[in-house]
Amino acid sequence: MKYASYVGLEIHIHLLAKSKAFCSCAARFGDEPNTNVCPVCLGHPGVLPALNEEALFMGYRVAQALGCELSRRTIFERKNYFYPDMPKNYQISQFAAPLGVSGGFEFEVKGETRRLAIRECHLEEDAGKLIHAGSVTLIDYNRAGFPLLEIVTEPDLKDGEEAEAYLRSFRRLVRHLGVCDGNMEEGSLRCDANVSVNEEGRGLGVKVELKNMNSSRFVRMGLDYEIRRQTARLAEGKSIQQETRLWNENRDVTETMRKKESASDYRFFPEPDLPPFEPGEAFLERVAGLAIELPLGRKRRFVGVLGLAEEQADQLVEEKSVADYFESALALGAEARTAATWITGELRAQLLRSGQDIAASPLGPRRFAALLGALAEGRIQGTIAKQVLKAVLDEDKDPEAIIAERGLEQITDRGALGAMVDEVLAREAATAARVRSGDKKALAFLVGEAMKASSGRAAAGTLKEIVMERLS
Amino acid sequence: MLDELEPWSGLLSDPKRRAAYEAYAEGWEGRIGAFLQFSPDEPAGRRGAGQAAAKPAARLAAAGPAGRDPAEPAAAPTTEQGPTGALALVPFAVKDNIAVEGFRMTCGSRILEDYRPPYTATCVARLQAEGALVVGKTNLDEFGMGSSCDNSAFARTSNPYDSALVAGGSSGGSAAAVAAGLVPFALGTDTGGSVRQPANFCGVYGLKPSYGAVSRFGLAAYASSLEGAGVLGRSIDVVEEVFRAMVGVDPLDQTTVAGPGRPGTEAAEPKSVGVVRGLGGLDPAVEAAYRGALAALADSGLRLVELDLPMLDYVLPAYYTIATAEASANLARYTGIAYGRRCAGAENPDDLVRRSRGEGFGDEVKLRVLVGTFVLRSGFQDRYYHKAQTLRRAIRDELAGALREVDLIAMPVFPTQAFAHGDSGMDQFQQKMADKFTCTANLAGLPALAVPTGLSGGLPTGIQLLAASFREDRLFSCARRLAPAFPLPEPPSFSREFLR
Ligand SMILES: [Zn+2]
Repeated sequence: MKYASYVGLEIHIHLLAKSKAFCSCAARFGDEPNTNVCPVCLGHPGVLPALNEEALFMGYRVAQALGCELSRRTIFERKNYFYPDMPKNYQISQFAAPLGVSGGFEFEVKGETRRLAIRECHLEEDAGKLIHAGSVTLIDYNRAGFPLLEIVTEPDLKDGEEAEAYLRSFRRLVRHLGVCDGNMEEGSLRCDANVSVNEEGRGLGVKVELKNMNSSRFVRMGLDYEIRRQTARLAEGKSIQQETRLWNENRDVTETMRKKESASDYRFFPEPDLPPFEPGEAFLERVAGLAIELPLGRKRRFVGVLGLAEEQADQLVEEKSVADYFESALALGAEARTAATWITGELRAQLLRSGQDIAASPLGPRRFAALLGALAEGRIQGTIAKQVLKAVLDEDKDPEAIIAERGLEQITDRGALGAMVDEVLAREAATAARVRSGDKKALAFLVGEAMKASSGRAAAGTLKEIVMERLS
Repeated sequence: MLDELEPWSGLLSDPKRRAAYEAYAEGWEGRIGAFLQFSPDEPAGRRGAGQAAAKPAARLAAAGPAGRDPAEPAAAPTTEQGPTGALALVPFAVKDNIAVEGFRMTCGSRILEDYRPPYTATCVARLQAEGALVVGKTNLDEFGMGSSCDNSAFARTSNPYDSALVAGGSSGGSAAAVAAGLVPFALGTDTGGSVRQPANFCGVYGLKPSYGAVSRFGLAAYASSLEGAGVLGRSIDVVEEVFRAMVGVDPLDQTTVAGPGRPGTEAAEPKSVGVVRGLGGLDPAVEAAYRGALAALADSGLRLVELDLPMLDYVLPAYYTIATAEASANLARYTGIAYGRRCAGAENPDDLVRRSRGEGFGDEVKLRVLVGTFVLRSGFQDRYYHKAQTLRRAIRDELAGALREVDLIAMPVFPTQAFAHGDSGMDQFQQKMADKFTCTANLAGLPALAVPTGLSGGLPTGIQLLAASFREDRLFSCARRLAPAFPLPEPPSFSREFLR
C-alpha cells in the first residue's frame, strides 16, 4: 500500500509595530514584567480597543507579498476561550473576512521550485505569558495585545523537508519586508502544523495538529516523526485520532496534548467595538508602493542576469540589507562577481569579527566600490585589499586615504623592482645558482623573497619577469 | 449657564447650603436608596480627580489611527471665581457601571465590589471639562441586566413616589436621584431601555442618544452593539445641555461617528409623528396616558400618521439573542485574576476562575451568560445569532423607512407603571417581555426619549419618542412642545429649599 502525506502550516508572526494592536502601549520585548500595560490591554471593565493602523498596514503588506487577494472590508471578530493569560478571555481576531485570502508563494526545495497555496492572512492580538514559580503562577501582560499576523497555508506540503524549506523562505520574506524579525527562539515567529496521512489517491486523512516546534529543524523533525507514526498505524490497520500533539524536543517524539472531544468551540462573532476596516485607495496604494522584489525573484535575477553562482546568490538574498548593499555597489561601478565574492567572503568574515552590521558599517557601498576599483585597476593587490578593508572597518576612513597614508599602492616601476631583485639575488647567491642550473622550485622562492622585500606591494607579474631576466 | 442650573452651581462649596443639601439627601436616601456611593464633600478634590483622570485617557488616545484628532476634552476654564463652563460646579450623579476615577465602580456586582477604575469614562470627563462635579455613583441592576434595580447585589432602589415600588432599571438609581431632586441630572446607560424605563417610572426625562453619538469608553460593557450612555434630567433643556457636552467622536471609541446631531446644525421643527397601529397589552392607566399624550402632540400642531411596524413582533427575540451573546463575551473578563473579587483558596487557575465567577455573579447575570454562550455555539449560530442579526437588519430597515415618512415615532415606554418590589411585582420573564417598546431603538441604533406626562393614580406616566439616527434635535423640540401640557410632577416631600 502507498501512502500520501499532507502538511499545512499555521505561522504566527509578531509584527514590528511600535505599539500594541489595540492600545498605545509599546510592543517591545525584554522590559520589566507588567510595565508596558494599560487598562485596555489589561482588559479592565469599560475599556475599548482602538485599532493600530500600522499593524494592519504591515498585515496587508505581507498578504500582498504572498499574492493574496486584499480585503476591501476586513472584519474583526471575538474568539472566545478562557485562559489565565488572556485578559478579556476572548481574543480579537479575524474569521469570516480576514485581510487577505487565496494567495500563493514560491519557494525552492530539493533543487526545485514549488508553489504553496496560502489560504489566508489575519490579524489578531497575542496573550500574556504565564510564569510558573514554585507553587504560584505569575502573569506578565507585557505581551498581551502584541499584534500578531497568522498565515495559514493549504495542506499542500508533503513532508518535513518541504515544510522546513517553506518556513525558511517565509522567514526570509518577512525579514525582507521588515515586518518581523523572524526569531523563532524568542517566539516572534511561531509555527504550528497540521498533518494527515492517507492511502494515495484518497485525499486528506484524519487531521492531527502539531505544536511546540521552536525551530525550523524541529518543524521538520516533528512532521517527519508524525508522518512515520501515522503511516505505521495505518499500515497496521489502526485508525488515526483527530487530536492536538506536542513535539517533545528532548525525546524527539510527538505526544498527545488534547483529544478532539475537549477541543474548544471558539464561538466567533463580529467584534462590536471595532467597525469593519475598509482600506481606501490611498492605503492600498501605500501598500503597493512598498512592494518589494521577492527574495526568490531577486536570487534568480542575480543568477540569470549577473551570472552569479546559485549558492552565492542565495547567500546574498538571505538578508535584504546584504542584497541591497550588493546592488548599491554594482550601481557605483563594482563588478558583480567580484563584489559577490568579497561580500560573501572577506567582508562577511570581517563584519562577523567586528560585530558590525553591513548596512551601518564604515565600509559603505561607495567605499566598497572604490576598494574593488583600486583592485581592478591593479593599484593594489588582493592581500593588500584585505588589509585596507579591515582598516576601513576599524578606522572609518576612505580606502584611498588608507592606501595613500600607508603607501600601499602597487610598485610597477621596473627600476625600483630591479633594485629589490638584485639585493635578494646577492643575499641568496646559492639559491640563484640552483635556479640557473634548472631548479624551477627555487625560482618561486626567490620571487617570494623579492615580494617580501616590497612588503607585498610589487606587481607580481613584472617582479617575476625581472627575476627570470636576471637569472637567464 | 441655564437658569435652572444656576442655583446648583457652587452648592457644594457653600458650607451652609451644602449642609442643608446633605440633610435633604440623607432623608431621601433612607427611603429610596438611589446611591451606592455618595460623597458631595471636597468638590475641589473631586475636580482634581477628574483632571488626573484625563492623563491615562490622553495616553490611550494615541492608539487611534494616525492623523486622527485626539479630541481630548479641554480642561474646564478656570478663573479666580472658579470654572466657567456650561456646567460649572454643578453636581451630578453617575450610574455605577460608568468609570469615574476616585470612585469605586461596582456595576452592582459582588465580583467588582472593591474595584477602583484607573481612568474616567469619556462622557464623564467631558462633563467634568465643563466644570460639572460627580457627587456619587447610583444603583443599578447587576451589569445593567434588569428592569427594576432589584437585581443589584448591594441595595434596592425604591420609587420616590412610593417606596413599595421599584424605581425601574437598570438606571433606577439615577432616575430616583433626579426625581427626588438630589441632582439636577444624572448619567445612565441604556442597552434595552435602561434609561427610558426608569425615567418613565420616576417621572423625569430620559434620553438614549443615537448609537455612535456619545463615546462608550468607560462604560462597563454588557451588550456593546446596543448600549450607550444616556441622560436623565428634570427638564429637556438640561438634558439637551448635557447631551451637547458629551456628544462627539472619541478616538478611544472607534464606533463613535460625527453626525448631524451636533451643536450648530440645522434644527428643523418636526411636523409629523408616526403612531404605531395595534399596540396591545398596555395597562389601562398607561393606555389612557398614552392616548392623552398623542392628543397633546396633535394639539401642539403635529400631524399624527398611523404606521404599521410588523417587525416589532421580532424585537424581543432578536434583542435578547444579541444582548446575551455579547454579554457572554463581555463578562468573560471577570475572573478575579487581575482585579475584582477573587475566591479564597483556589486549587489552580481554572478553579480560581470558576469559583470567583460562581461566587461573584448573581443569578440573572449567570442566566444571560449561559444563554449567550448557547446561542453562539458553532453549528447553532444560524439558528440563533445569525437569525437575530438578520431580524435586526430588517427591524432597522423598517424603522428607517418609516422615519423617512414621518419625523418622529411615538410609542409607550413600558406597558405598566412602576411595579412592586419582589414577587408581588413582575417576574423576570414578564419584565423581559415588557421591554419590547424600548429595545426597538437599541436594535436600530436610533435616539429615543422618554417624556414625562404627569401622574396617574399618583404614579408617573410618560411617552416615548424615536427619531432618525442623529436627529436628537427633533426629540428635544417635540419634548418642548409637550412641556406646557405636562408640567413635571414632583414626588411627595420634594423640595428645593436647600438651593436657596
Ligand atoms: Zn495597553
